[in-house]
Amino acid sequence: MARSKAVQTAPIQPGSRKRALSPADPYEVPADDAETPRRRRRTEPSTTIAAANGQHGHGNPSDSPPSPQRTPAKRRGRPPKAAGAGAAATPHKPAATPKSARERSLPATPLKPNGIDTPSRRTIADRSARRKSARALIDRVIGGTVSDDDLEDDAIAREIYESSEDDDADGEDREDQDEENPEPTTPSKTPGRKRRTARRSPTPPRDLPPHEQYFYQNKPGLAKTSGNTLASLNLLTHEEYFSILRQLKDPHAADVQFLESLHAESFPQWAFELSQGFSACLYGYGSKRRLLHSFARYLAAQDPSHKIVIINGYVRTLNVRDMLSTISAALPPADGAADSHPSATTTLASLLSHLATLPPAPQLTLLVSSIDSPLLRAKPALQSLLAALAAQRPRVRLACTADTPGFPRLWDAGLRAQFAFVFHDCTTFSPFAACELDAVDEVHELLGRRARRAGGKEGVVFVLRSLPENARALFRLLVGEVLVAMEEQGGAGTHDDDEVAVEYRMVYNKAVEEFICSSEMAFRTLLKEFHDHQIITSSKDSLGTELLSLPFRKDELESILEELVS
Amino acid sequence: MAQSELVDAPFEEDDHRVAFIFQANPPSSHEKGADGATARSAKRRKLAGSSSSTLKKHQQHGSEAANASVGVGVGFPPLFGGAESPEAASLRRELFDEAWPVLEKRVQQVLRDANRNTLDEVAGFLKSAAGIDADKLTSAFIITGPNIAAQDLLFEQLADRLCAGDADADLPGGDGADHAAPPRFVRLRASDAPNLKAVLRKIIRDASAAGPGGDEEDAGAVVVQGGRKYLDYDLEALHVFLRQHQTRRVVVAFQDGEAFDSVLLTDLISLLHSWRDRIRFELLFGIATSVELFQARLAKSTARQLYGAQFDVVQAGSVLDGVVKTAVASTHAALRIGPSLLRTLVDRQRHHVAGVHAFVASLKYAYMCHFYADPLSLLLLGGGRLTRALLQPEHLEAARTLGSFQAEVEAAVEARQLRHARSLIEDDEYLANQILDHGARRREYLLRLLRSLHLIAASGLAPLSFTELYMLALSDGLDVSQAEPATLPLQDAIRRLGPDDFLALASRLLGAISAGSPELGLAGFAADADDLVASLTDLRDEVDGLAARARARGQGAALKSRYSAQSRVLRTTVVAHKVQLSRDDATLTDEDRAFTAAVDRLCDVLARHLRCEPLADLFLHEPWTFDARAPCRDVFAPRPGTTFGRALARPHDYLACACCAAAAAPAAGPAGRLDPALPTAAALYHLYLEAGALINVADLWSAYYALVGGGGDGGGEGDGEGEEESDADDGAESGAGLDERTALVQFYRGLAELRMMGFVRPSRRKADHIAKVKWL
Repeated sequence: MARSKAVQTAPIQPGSRKRALSPADPYEVPADDAETPRRRRRTEPSTTIAAANGQHGHGNPSDSPPSPQRTPAKRRGRPPKAAGAGAAATPHKPAATPKSARERSLPATPLKPNGIDTPSRRTIADRSARRKSARALIDRVIGGTVSDDDLEDDAIAREIYESSEDDDADGEDREDQDEENPEPTTPSKTPGRKRRTARRSPTPPRDLPPHEQYFYQNKPGLAKTSGNTLASLNLLTHEEYFSILRQLKDPHAADVQFLESLHAESFPQWAFELSQGFSACLYGYGSKRRLLHSFARYLAAQDPSHKIVIINGYVRTLNVRDMLSTISAALPPADGAADSHPSATTTLASLLSHLATLPPAPQLTLLVSSIDSPLLRAKPALQSLLAALAAQRPRVRLACTADTPGFPRLWDAGLRAQFAFVFHDCTTFSPFAACELDAVDEVHELLGRRARRAGGKEGVVFVLRSLPENARALFRLLVGEVLVAMEEQGGAGTHDDDEVAVEYRMVYNKAVEEFICSSEMAFRTLLKEFHDHQIITSSKDSLGTELLSLPFRKDELESILEELVS
Repeated sequence: MAQSELVDAPFEEDDHRVAFIFQANPPSSHEKGADGATARSAKRRKLAGSSSSTLKKHQQHGSEAANASVGVGVGFPPLFGGAESPEAASLRRELFDEAWPVLEKRVQQVLRDANRNTLDEVAGFLKSAAGIDADKLTSAFIITGPNIAAQDLLFEQLADRLCAGDADADLPGGDGADHAAPPRFVRLRASDAPNLKAVLRKIIRDASAAGPGGDEEDAGAVVVQGGRKYLDYDLEALHVFLRQHQTRRVVVAFQDGEAFDSVLLTDLISLLHSWRDRIRFELLFGIATSVELFQARLAKSTARQLYGAQFDVVQAGSVLDGVVKTAVASTHAALRIGPSLLRTLVDRQRHHVAGVHAFVASLKYAYMCHFYADPLSLLLLGGGRLTRALLQPEHLEAARTLGSFQAEVEAAVEARQLRHARSLIEDDEYLANQILDHGARRREYLLRLLRSLHLIAASGLAPLSFTELYMLALSDGLDVSQAEPATLPLQDAIRRLGPDDFLALASRLLGAISAGSPELGLAGFAADADDLVASLTDLRDEVDGLAARARARGQGAALKSRYSAQSRVLRTTVVAHKVQLSRDDATLTDEDRAFTAAVDRLCDVLARHLRCEPLADLFLHEPWTFDARAPCRDVFAPRPGTTFGRALARPHDYLACACCAAAAAPAAGPAGRLDPALPTAAALYHLYLEAGALINVADLWSAYYALVGGGGDGGGEGDGEGEEESDADDGAESGAGLDERTALVQFYRGLAELRMMGFVRPSRRKADHIAKVKWL
């Protein structure tokens, strides 16, 4: 009998989380509670105190709805209402004492995943601070005794009170609404909160320092964005982009020109710094390529015999060999050295030793544009190569430009000492040229629409059509697995948005199970085919597990899967 | 953009190349059409094209270079808005070229000397360890401290020392052939050593190529020696090479020992250990933390293969003190680094682990700034080279703007020297004479300052390091008396001296006077300070006599002064139920009293001689001091985040355009409307700031389009709540707003720029969302 009762009560309790329990509750705890926030807002001294008191006493059952029965019974022997809550429990199951433990555990399991537990505790804490400050304010008003030293306390209390109100973004507003709604809108705290976050203005408090802003904006649950997508927008193609760009007139062109001429006035200074063994680093917003080139022109005009090598850091095919061969081509050939392989075998070591044989006078100026381009950022070896070259002063002089705010972190103390940089703010505001920045590709990559990869969804389908049946089966399997993985990760929510990847081993096992292939060799061969068409990517995680992933967005994957299945 | 592409036309083909040799304006390529065809073809066959054409260019250029004159240096551009005479400008350059190398040499000397002890120890250890334990690898652990930049010099010196130092062979026995040739020295950095093969390759290459007289043919000989070819990571090759050169020793220096992968290090050490019967490897480890921590990273078996000792490097602080003394403060320094700049530089050393090199670089930069940008630096011309003819009216005018000029005039007026004040202001010739004289005044001040500092440092009474002392003297002046405004009250310290200390102090001071200070560039100045020498000698003799007399009396108690603590006896007397405390110095003998008088006189003498006024009080000190903190800070410790943030948030600061002024005005407030004329990236940045950690690009676009779009007709796209009003004045500004596609182009560009600057990155959490990654 006791058992059947437990089964009966169990389903009720999850429901009771919201409102279901309250009519049954003989003491009408939540109804009372629903009143409190409003009354408190009105700041009528007496009622508010009462409300505060009342809430203090029995506010919790609705505040922490997940465990209305558990908390009072177990933890705090709260004065009046805890007893009431206990009493509420007793009539239902008078002889259930031995079962109570199990009963308690029952509702807990389904409730946990909702994660309501923690926030509610936090709101309690918030509220009690607020309640206290409210009471302090009221006491002050009633007492009318505002002495000097009280003023400060008063200010603090008011701040706490108001801050929590601010936190609700538009407290007043909501209050009005609450008052307009006559029916006691449920515990009024939880749904209200939800509504608030949704209505929270996207403008954060402006005066926060950056790190505070970071924490503010990364608060869990704050990242509420609308579901709008760019689906309705016809994205730009390269052709359209450039044809429009050509007609576009920059209203700031003259200003940008002027700014650049200002920077150009520093050329003699920079040249002087270079001649004194420093390397110049020009940073700031805007393309500095033109500036660098005019600097090169200036340097060339100063000393026409001097060799200037410009390295375009933004070029995506940047490699050591081209850099070194160009540099060595710029240097006077080593005397007596047979130029049998003029540039193919140049290494840094041979270049450096060649440099060392030259007279200690300026031989070469290296101008590196975008020393912090993605490629140069990704390869520390390139940075140390440049540093090693820069350290060959006075034979080599180096100037570079940097486009990202984080560029100083590229170099450790050793590299910094080798470079011996002097930094100059060269904000130019001039637009990046097409060779520096491929806006269309950048943006599409940003949006996850791979313009660079041939074809996208259509391409994949086309490729797969040309592949044997088992390859298609394997790809179908892969797409399915990745989608499942995406689903899981999406459910977890808090996960970062790295590529969703599946384990190689797992895919292989499944493929064997489904008779797609019989050996790992065959499996590899199939994967290689995909690799060749760039429709899968593989990587290793920190533990060395091989991972496979698909460079497509979820909706694309879904449509691919549809295509494959049909 | 359109025009920018036109301007860039000469570079078009080069822009897509990894690297190219810059050609200054080949006139033909200005016409785009003429060059277009070649540009396109070059682009198509990128690699082949680049190498061949660069070579061609190079040859062309080489022929030009042959008959072009080689410019020595860059002359300084004339100042005073171009009014400065070229002569003066070139003189400033000359001055810099004279002033800095002197200092640089002295600094290098200090740095080299600082490491000398370590070098001796390490070299000695390696030598002595040679015969001790053949079963283990000799290794020296050098605690270099955290600054890896400073290690370069140390290891460079070590290489020099170890390769050259063994030439004078006072070696302990052993097989002579072993030590006949200097060892090979290999320096490794963790970045050179991604894996074992690469390290071995580097060791073999460096050991066989480097070293005195290391020629290329040697390296070639190794590879093909005996008709056999070794793999380039086979130590056998090195072995063969070393046999040819009659040496067995190879010193391998791990500059940043802790940065090496410990597995790699373990492998490498055991490998080198196994070769120890053929090649004698000696290892040097640069260690930033401690040997214990380093050892903990190695396998125990590996650690057992090492036989080593620990060496410390001179602390950066004392090196810095030496540098300040020899370079900044010495009489050789033409330019004085002002106290506040020096303070920031020294603080930077302490708070950030910037090496001494950073300090020297800042020092150099200060010199560069001064001579480059201050026309009055011309006044530093010495040796009678500064003539009236050089001084242009602009120089005088500039001198009148100086703070010290104004202070001087005010002081003159206060002192009722009205003629002086008036002439300074009105009479160019008078001022010119003052300026011509000021060189002597400068030298006099510096001598006084440095001598005082030298004596104070020599006395050992001041509790400050020399650097602190120097900064104090420059900023607040020197005053050792006990009076209230004293900057460095030493009187107490002097009074507490016993007779022996007194004598020691006096002779120290006398010694310091006659010896001068080579570090500070002070010659002995006994001749100049004869009264000081005389009084010090008198005092010394007197106290010497007193002490002798006291001893002769055999009182047991030594000579004491009124001030020494023991002589003060508190006497307690009870008079009429009241306790009276009185000091009793009745125990002082005549000699003691005489000693007390001598101590007092010493205080007076020192207070009279050891004093100088703050630098800033000197008339016309600006031409020979540099105390601006901003240039060094901007140039060496940039704040790019702030710079980027400012450029994007307030483009008006840079562009000074009318349209963005509104956005720049704080009146616009946090909720101020954005001006549609803002540069795209700036507008997007404002929206970016308002967004949360996750940004919906669709919303960003609609917000942006609402901002720049053409008011009414674009309503279909823009859902701008509350923002469409801003389009009203936009319409007035630029006719009509942008149409959707144009706006989209702008939007693309802005967003791409934001991404390039690392503000956003793709996000997969929701469709068409991007994640915010920068909070500036």
